Amino acid sequence: MTTNDWVGVILTVVVFLLILVAYVYALYPKNRDKLEAQRFIPLDDDQFDDGEKHGG
Amino acid sequence: MDATAEQKYNLDVVRWFAVMAVVYLVVGASVGVYIASELAWPVLNFDSPYLSFGRLRPLHTNAVIFAFGGCTLMATAFYSVQRTCGVRLWSDKMAWFTFWGWNLVIVLAVITLPLGLTQSKEYAELEWPIDILIAVVWLSYLFNFVMTIANRKSSHIYVSNWFFLSMMIMITYLHVVNSLAIPVSLFKSYSIFSGVQDAMIQWWWGHNAVGFYLTAGFLGIMYYFVPKQANRPVYSYRLSVVHFWALSFGYVWLGAHHLQYTALPDWTGSLGAAISLAMIIPSWGGALNGIMTLSGAWDKLRTDYVLRFMIMSLAFYAMSTFEGPVMSIKTVNALSHYTDWTVGHVHSGALGWVAMVGIGALYHLITRCFHTEMYSVKLINLHFWAATIGAVIYVVAMWVSGIMQGLMWRAYDDYGTLAYTFAESVEAMHPYYAMRAVGGGIFLFGAAIMLYNVIMTVRQSMAEGCVEQARTASLATATA
Repeated sequence: MTTNDWVGVILTVVVFLLILVAYVYALYPKNRDKLEAQRFIPLDDDQFDDGEKHGG
Repeated sequence: MDATAEQKYNLDVVRWFAVMAVVYLVVGASVGVYIASELAWPVLNFDSPYLSFGRLRPLHTNAVIFAFGGCTLMATAFYSVQRTCGVRLWSDKMAWFTFWGWNLVIVLAVITLPLGLTQSKEYAELEWPIDILIAVVWLSYLFNFVMTIANRKSSHIYVSNWFFLSMMIMITYLHVVNSLAIPVSLFKSYSIFSGVQDAMIQWWWGHNAVGFYLTAGFLGIMYYFVPKQANRPVYSYRLSVVHFWALSFGYVWLGAHHLQYTALPDWTGSLGAAISLAMIIPSWGGALNGIMTLSGAWDKLRTDYVLRFMIMSLAFYAMSTFEGPVMSIKTVNALSHYTDWTVGHVHSGALGWVAMVGIGALYHLITRCFHTEMYSVKLINLHFWAATIGAVIYVVAMWVSGIMQGLMWRAYDDYGTLAYTFAESVEAMHPYYAMRAVGGGIFLFGAAIMLYNVIMTVRQSMAEGCVEQARTASLATATA
């Protein structure tokens, strides 16, 4: 394999592992409430009118 | 009337992008119906090179994808990023630069493509000076969007912004690499890639133009506008996160499935097909996430015609994202490739998914940005049925035509001789080409109704001074 091939393989595997981390994070039961709370952002967009920082 | 939003956010540039998107939808669809008619009745070429299918077809694709699609993406991204981040666009001037720059690109496409000035790369036909302009304008769009997010008042970045951002970053990368060329004159250049590498780069771009521009970007629209129009939160935020990462990771692998049975190494096509099949899972997850947002409130579909556009678009999205992977399987591809089935598949995605979700978002935007109701709700309903029936007629015609074409091309007799000549297959397609033109015509009729409805809504808003009142009211509030 050439250097190019190795770089490609390593990058692909690293990105794949990062995707797995993202899935575990998103689906981990303890993160459920924290993530699902963000569902309301489009419906509560008037909340920003007070100029304060909001959200988790 | 949302006076606070009018004063706080830059809605002017959103208004212009939204109206231009509707204009370009009519223009792009008109050219599409014309060239569809040329295929059914070649006399419509009028022996003019400027009207020939080969020159007008890229004009049609550029008009619907980059003019209508681009203006829709820019209107919706600039609108929703302000609303979800609670801040005005980072730079008004840069937003106007994006607007005028993008429209200049479209004007240049309208001039150069009928003149036959093209790089001959599908969905990337425009010559090198226009490519450079596209890159500069696109970067201004990306930079303004990123800086607006950087200035946000919310800690969390809502998922629609992730989808928009993914689209903007990937399209920058894809456009620049695929457009690398050596200019030999102002209007002529040669790609730096050659042979099968050129084909691979082209379809790496081509499929990701679909995957990121027409899917990720429009999913950004879906994740903001479906909940907003339904006034309900998205069904599952966690599913949206999984959808985002799976789509961003998976889509970039698919391009090779466009090149099955070519000089490209066999394994690359197989890999493209395997990842394509895997992509059904996140795609359907996303479609169900959007549709299930209405869970417990399905009655809204009876009265909310804008929501109907959005939910119908998700049904088409689910269908197209199943059909595409199936077509990428080598045995199916052997039948479907180079036939009208591909054209039918593309249009079930383009008319059914992209156009319908975009149209739904534009109706939503226009009422919010012009601070008035749509001129006629009945016309929205008429538009919905015209768009749906038109798309279905178009797609069914191309399915039948494509499968028949594939079967005729591969049929042979007991002596191993081809059973049909190519001309016989062309003749057999004629009724379906006429049917396609009719389906496209019905879709165009709906788009024209939308344009009329939007013009009357804008006039109504101007006559009643709605935008001005929103500006004044917000100033009075601010003063008080």
